[in-house]
Formats: sequence, C-alpha cells, structure tokens
Amino acid sequence: MNCEEFEAIGLDAERDASVGEAEWAAAREHASTCSRCAALQDSWQVARIQLSALAEDTDLAQAPPRVEMRLRQEFRTRHRTLKVRRAAVIAAWALASAAVLMGAVSWRNWRAGQREEASKLANSQQMAIAAAGNHQSLAPHSTANEDSLVADNEMNDFTLLPGVLPAETDDAAIVRVRMQRSTLGALGLPVNEDRAGEWIQVDLLVGNDGLPQAVRLLQ
Amino acid sequence: MGIAEQERDGVLLRRAAKGDEDAFALLYRRHQAALYRFALRMTGSAWAAEEIVQDVFMTLMRDPSKYDAERGTVGAFLYGVGRNRVMKHLERLPREVSLEEKNEDGSGAGIVLQDVFTPGMWAEQRERREQVRAAVLELPAEFREAVVLCELEEMSYEEAAQVAGCPIGTIRSRLHRGRALLLAKLEMLRDVPRRASAAR
Repeated sequence: MNCEEFEAIGLDAERDASVGEAEWAAAREHASTCSRCAALQDSWQVARIQLSALAEDTDLAQAPPRVEMRLRQEFRTRHRTLKVRRAAVIAAWALASAAVLMGAVSWRNWRAGQREEASKLANSQQMAIAAAGNHQSLAPHSTANEDSLVADNEMNDFTLLPGVLPAETDDAAIVRVRMQRSTLGALGLPVNEDRAGEWIQVDLLVGNDGLPQAVRLLQ
Repeated sequence: MGIAEQERDGVLLRRAAKGDEDAFALLYRRHQAALYRFALRMTGSAWAAEEIVQDVFMTLMRDPSKYDAERGTVGAFLYGVGRNRVMKHLERLPREVSLEEKNEDGSGAGIVLQDVFTPGMWAEQRERREQVRAAVLELPAEFREAVVLCELEEMSYEEAAQVAGCPIGTIRSRLHRGRALLLAKLEMLRDVPRRASAAR
C-alpha cells in the first residue's frame, strides 16, 4: 500500500465495511513503516477524539418545545379548516340535490296537471258535440239515446259551447235571445243548413267575462 | 429502528393525515431530535436548526402523501427533506452574512456561534472544541455533510449514502477530502495561537 492509498482507505479502514482484512493489515503495516502516514493517522485520531467531544456536546440537543407547540397549533388550524370546508361541501351538495329533487317533483306535478286539463277539455268537447247532435235529432223526432238525455238533464238542458269547461258555468247568467239558426254555427255548434235562415229563441248561459258558455234551445 | 417501529411510523403518519393530532405529535417527538442535531451540526446555528425542523414537519403536515413507504422509512424521508432544507439554508448563507453588520475596519462580523463564552470560561478544552466546530462549519457543504453524518452522527457509509442520496463511493471520497481539509484547518487554527504567543 502506498501513501495515497493509505490516505484514501487506511485512515478509516476499521469502519469501512468494504475494506477487507488484507487491506486493513496492509494499511497498518504501511503506517508502521511510513512516518508521514503514521503522523497523519495520529492527527486524525486526535481530530476524531475532538469530533467525538463536539458530537457529545450536541448529543442531547433537541428542538425547543415551542416548535412542537407551533406545529400543533398549525395542525389544529389546518384540520379544523379542512373539516369546515368538508362540511360546507357536503351541505352544498345536499342543497343542490334537494333543489334538483324539488324541481323534478314540481315538473312532474305540472305535467300531470297539464295532462288532466287536456283530458277534461277533450271530454267536454266530446260532450258538447254529442249534446248538439242530440238537439238536432231529438227535438223534432224524440229519438235521442239515453246517455245524451241524462247529460242534458244534468246541465239543465244547456249545451256547453266547444272549449268551455263545466266548472266555468257556475256563476253564469241566463239570457234569452232571438237569433237565426245559422248564428249557432258561429258559436261552434253544428247547424242544419236547410233551416239556417229560420228564427229561433234560445237561452244563452253568459259567463262573468260576458261570453256565452252554453246554449239552450227553446221549443 | 426495527421493522415494527417503521410500521408504527407508517401507521402514525396515516393517522396524522386523517387529523389525529396526537399521532402527529408522537411522530414529531420520535424524529425531531435526530433532525435537529443534524441541522445544528450542519448549520452551527440553533435558530436555523429550529427553523429547519419546523419546516420539515410542516412539509409532512401539508402533504403526507409525499412520503412513499416503498422508497424508505419515514425517518429517512424526513432526513432527506431536512437535508434539502439544510442545503438551501447553506446556499443562502453567504448573502445573509454579507448583510450582517460590518466592523469598523470593514471586515465582516462573521457568523456568531450560539454559545456565549465569558473570558473566564475560555478553558483550553473548550477552545479546542470551538476550533473543531469552526473548522467543521467552514468545510464546503458536501464535505461537511459527509463529516457530520459519518463522524458526528456516527452513521455507516451505507447509511450516510442513503441519507445523502448518493453512492457509497461518493461518500467515501467526500469524507476523504473533507477529512483532509478538516485536518489542514485544525492545523492552521492550532498554529495561530502558537504564533501569537511566540510573537509576545
């Protein structure tokens, strides 16, 4: 072993796991023959003792308690903020879900209402058409079917005009008028064209808005 | 540190991440001293060491997911973060020193060591220790790190290489050069008082 090799591995050979027994023996032998390397080894031994003493000085050193205090404080603040933020997010989601649910239910109800209204309208129109048909065929010949008569009786012989709902006739007034039969056509009722010019007397059921709701033919 | 303790560290970290303050405090108490000592020996400043320890644990608190159990122990991770902070501190140091007060003759006041000595306390032993401390602190950061890890922390070359994140050969060569520089500095410091007393 030469001086360079000794400096590289010989000074700390006992601690270096990669240095084998043979190299360790060679380093010791070199130190016993080379006065410069022996002096270097001695200096290093002294320095190591001093380094150990320096290490001992700080061996029990610890971070002051205020560091732990500050970290704990920061930890609390951080996690409390996180909890609050998480709760806010959950609340926001819950509110949003409730709003969507409410919207869906309202929309469903509105749709159901619309459908019900449409079916009522269709029913009343069918009823009006049926009643008008009855009057035409029933008055001179008295050959109406049983259902139409029952409907007429319920309506006090009035025939609802097309587009009028039964509920709308509750507060209506009865006005007796004389008109040509063709005017019934203007009210949306079927008219026999052969007798269109004939004068007839009718009772009109006039609603709050002043519009006729139903009509009753007088004999 | 045994495997059981390493696992315990992992459990503590997971609990701390979920907001368990006691688990975090326990983790801190287990690792703070070693980190503080390393930082103190590297920087020579108790204030800087305190800041570094706080910074390391703040990093762990802010983002615990940065720790990957497959890459090593919690202790090694903390050491790694601490080492980075120390290196950053040492990089900043020259600028900080230049901002310090200057003496009347214009020379720098230098880094003030933490311990305060009264003239009566200047025993030779103490003086030698201060010389060694000053010599260590004057070493370039990389060599100082090798000397601190292997000589003061008494780590094996393998452990030191793991902490420094370099091969064992690099640690060996840094230690060799650091040791040579340290011996030269100590020799120089030893000669100064001798020359001064000879001049008297």
